[in-house]
Amino acid sequence: MEQNEELLVPKNTEKKKRRRKYWETQRLNLKRNKSILWFIVPAALFTIVFSYIPMFGVLFAFKDPAFDSAMRRGADIIGALKYSNWTLETFKSIFNDSFWLSLKNSVLINLIKLVFVFPLSILIAIQLSEMKNQKLSKLILIIICIPNFLSWTVVIKAWTSFFDPDIGFLGKLLSKATNGEIISYYEASFKPLFVFYSAWKGAGWGSILYYAAIMSIDKSYYESATIEGANKIQKAFYLTIPAIGGTIALMLVMMFSGFTGVGLEQLKLMLDPTNYIESQQTLDYYIYELSIGQGAGVSYVQAAALGVFNGLVGLLLLLGGNALTTKTLKRGLW
Amino acid sequence: MNKTIDQPNITKRRLFKKNPNKIKETLSDRIIHAVSVTLLIFFVILIVFPLLNYFSLAFNNYAFNDKIILWPAKLDLAPIKYVFSANSKDFWRAFLNSVIITLIVTFVSNLVEAMAAYPLSKKNCPFRSGILMFFIITMLFSAGVVPIYLLMRSFNLLNTIWSIILISISNVTNLLFFKTFFENVPSEIQEAAIIDGASPLQMFFRIIMPMALPVFGSCCFFTIVGMWNGYGAALIFINSEATEAMPLAYYLYISLTNGQAATMYDDFLRNYLPNIQAASMLISIIPILIIYPYVIKYIKSGATLGSVKG
Repeated sequence: MEQNEELLVPKNTEKKKRRRKYWETQRLNLKRNKSILWFIVPAALFTIVFSYIPMFGVLFAFKDPAFDSAMRRGADIIGALKYSNWTLETFKSIFNDSFWLSLKNSVLINLIKLVFVFPLSILIAIQLSEMKNQKLSKLILIIICIPNFLSWTVVIKAWTSFFDPDIGFLGKLLSKATNGEIISYYEASFKPLFVFYSAWKGAGWGSILYYAAIMSIDKSYYESATIEGANKIQKAFYLTIPAIGGTIALMLVMMFSGFTGVGLEQLKLMLDPTNYIESQQTLDYYIYELSIGQGAGVSYVQAAALGVFNGLVGLLLLLGGNALTTKTLKRGLW
Repeated sequence: MNKTIDQPNITKRRLFKKNPNKIKETLSDRIIHAVSVTLLIFFVILIVFPLLNYFSLAFNNYAFNDKIILWPAKLDLAPIKYVFSANSKDFWRAFLNSVIITLIVTFVSNLVEAMAAYPLSKKNCPFRSGILMFFIITMLFSAGVVPIYLLMRSFNLLNTIWSIILISISNVTNLLFFKTFFENVPSEIQEAAIIDGASPLQMFFRIIMPMALPVFGSCCFFTIVGMWNGYGAALIFINSEATEAMPLAYYLYISLTNGQAATMYDDFLRNYLPNIQAASMLISIIPILIIYPYVIKYIKSGATLGSVKG
């Protein structure tokens, strides 16, 4: 049957027909429901002005340093664009040592997050769902969500105070353990600490989605698994995790798309301006310093080029991650 | 109520406290359960302990700062009083800025996005998929910090709260939320309204929005939290000298880095600096604490929603 139909109607005309039908319906829809489009106008205006017009900023990346000096003298954007020449040199100059260092640090931090923090939320959700006392599990859920609703300023200040050798509880213990030696925990442990803070803030809230997904699994699966003699670990690995695979895939893709960024707010708080260390240098911060920093190193051209690079990498990672999860887990964003 | 019905069966059944047919938990399962409960409780302690240890400073006398474990070692309200006194004008200015920013963005952004989502939820909206793509592209690709910074500069909006407000209004995630909700509104209701002669505007504000209030509420809630706590936009648009345009979280961040310098000639400030900082941090999270019951409701509804489905 299927073959017969294909023989009767050549593919090309089928396509054309469908396309013509699509435009016909759109035309009719436009005729009948024109007034409804007015609802979109305000949102579209904001999107055009603050999302689409900045996209033309991609052009800055193809300008020579004359653009920078014109901007610094206070010229308007159009004027500066006319004043400077087109060039591809910027893209050669941005891939320097500090770029590779910051890229390496950003990716490393995200890898640590992927290995330790990402499974933590799933683990918490599974543990919570296995608790017999429902009231207690909800109380725990409510408490572990609190840090997500505090600002980074509060989180980092609370922890630095907690680590303080004079007033903080943990700091006092640590300084006792090391005989009063002041521990500058920033130097060797910047990355682990960075990831720890973000886990402390976000892991509890991150587990909510998984918790809701686990709760929607049919309970009879677990009962039959128990009768078959599966223990809790087996149930978690062969039942729970496959069942919430869609949620996990979604979160994984979202995480992939932000793999070059680490979060500027947290980073700025953890920076020690008097004591530069290499592991602080991440891509967000590098671009921030290039574009808004007060020093002589400001270069809009380079920052724009890096922004383009960052945006493209993020897009590629999102699409690639989505393709990967669709292939392996049969689930993706769309 | 008729109490004379005797229930011999029920009382008899209660004698068996355990269901004899229930499968016994194995030892390994019990160990795993114990371990997981312990881990969870450890995590809870890890969250509560530093917070209590830190916020106790707000109610503490500076001389006893090192004695704090979970509650104030010696009660002293001077830090709190200092934050409420005329000395902390900048703090309250920043507080007001945050309130203004949060209110405007929450109201305008969610209204605008809900309005845009309404036609997009309809099958017969012209160029539906194209318009949807137009919004989704902005989620996938952005040109970075520099163009937005220069745009705000050319609008003369740097170092004002308007830069933060304007950049935060567009929110495609909420648009998609609203769209999914509107798609599930029964079409019979809308058809009835059309027959009664409702214009699209009336339909949206009189019929769709009242039905969407729960979704609108949760979107508003997340906008409020994001605007109150976040200062990524402020880091870009507002420099560290423009105190009059700072949102609260950003002001606290700046005052942390500049705090030491102000204490040079003031004994009270020098002694009480950590306490005053803790007090202002505590006051800054009060609005979040006020709406936290809403989160609890959301968490519970999310969790029970799952169990209903299953």
